[in-house]
Amino acid sequence: MNNADTDATLVALLDRMAAADESALKALYALTSAKLYGVALRVLGKAEWAEDVLQESFLYIWRSASFYRNTRSPPMAWMSLVVKSRAIDFQRHLTVEKQHLMHEMTADVEQQLTADVPSALDLRHASQAAIALHSCLSALDHQQREVVSLAYLKELSHGELAERLKLPLGTVKSWIRRSLDELRRCMARFA
Amino acid sequence: MNIQQHPDLIERLAAEHALGTLRHGARRRFEALARQHPAIQAANERWAQRLAGIAELQPPVTPSAHVWTRIDNLVAADVQARIWARTSADAREAALTGAAAPAASWWNKPQPLRWLAGLATVAALVVGASSVWEQRSQEATIAALQTELANKPAVEYVAVLVPTGDASAGPGLLVTFDGERGQLKLQRVSDYRESADRSLQLWALPPGGKPRSLGVLGADALIRLQATQADLIEVPALAVSIEPFGGVPSEGGPTGPVVFSGRLLKNQT
Repeated sequence: MNNADTDATLVALLDRMAAADESALKALYALTSAKLYGVALRVLGKAEWAEDVLQESFLYIWRSASFYRNTRSPPMAWMSLVVKSRAIDFQRHLTVEKQHLMHEMTADVEQQLTADVPSALDLRHASQAAIALHSCLSALDHQQREVVSLAYLKELSHGELAERLKLPLGTVKSWIRRSLDELRRCMARFA
Repeated sequence: MNIQQHPDLIERLAAEHALGTLRHGARRRFEALARQHPAIQAANERWAQRLAGIAELQPPVTPSAHVWTRIDNLVAADVQARIWARTSADAREAALTGAAAPAASWWNKPQPLRWLAGLATVAALVVGASSVWEQRSQEATIAALQTELANKPAVEYVAVLVPTGDASAGPGLLVTFDGERGQLKLQRVSDYRESADRSLQLWALPPGGKPRSLGVLGADALIRLQATQADLIEVPALAVSIEPFGGVPSEGGPTGPVVFSGRLLKNQT
């Protein structure tokens, strides 16, 4: 199945879910749960927490399927955003002790963020939007890529990024600005 | 400054908004601008979709099988709850447009619809947990109660009453019914305590009908109320409201807010 087909298939399933077709939800889960669980796990580190977020996310996707079309968004982009937002919210509601635990668990994962370039296999079923982004992110230098990925997945501020990466605040701000400018130029070619 | 004349600035801000690095006052102001200018809203959406690829490109990990089971259960419960809420809505509709209600009517209370609003919430609770937390915690509590039921065949009904509308709090009351003794036993399991000038009152919620009082709770942790099978048969849910000290007559229905509610489960042996 090529990437345009993937998007079309997912949209068709969401339309059926909007009509309360539970079998469409099951099919959607089969196609997308591993990707979405991967996102939750990357943000939270702990399986039990990521599972809770995945469950809440699919329940939300089920309930909002009739509003999906209003978002004018490709299906995977919408669902990934749902999961990421819930994961960040979940993390923010953890107690201070548990947040500390989470940081420990995900710290080494963060070191590897730049090393984690998806294989050709993962890209096979990726949406067109994701493939475009992957190509443009690869063109960034690895430190820029790391800062952008970390900022996005953890919803960190400039100050928090500077602290995490032990960099001056000014450096972080200008790296982000430059990276976003380069992404913008690159992605405009795909649009 | 007219931001519409600065498309580059709009792009930069939209990109930082989507990334998450645009914060606080600047973020709020930009969001306000987006609400006023469709071009800015469009830029926001474009960038949000672009960057969503970062999440999408994370390595996939297959979740355990029980995750799907839970989602399946939550969705089935959700479908049931909507059917129930529509049924309750129909009943409310019928009742409100219905003719001769008795004089000191339940319907004539101040804010008569407050209870009705509560009924829809309870209806959702009746047919199943609406959040993951509720489901997990109810699963655990119900499992414990089922063990108790298995050991005491005389206990024919159980209910776990949780704070209405606050899925993050723990259960408030555990209720069991002993048919042989004709007794409802209630255990307070949360820190909730009513004030000295108030009493908690237990109500049976028959489907589509008026709540019926099952009694007023004393201040102890363990409370016994007299009740018969007939009081509970065909009753899908129980609720607890806050009333003036000593409670209120059953015919009048609850006058105060519902603090706990939950499904009444019959022991199937």
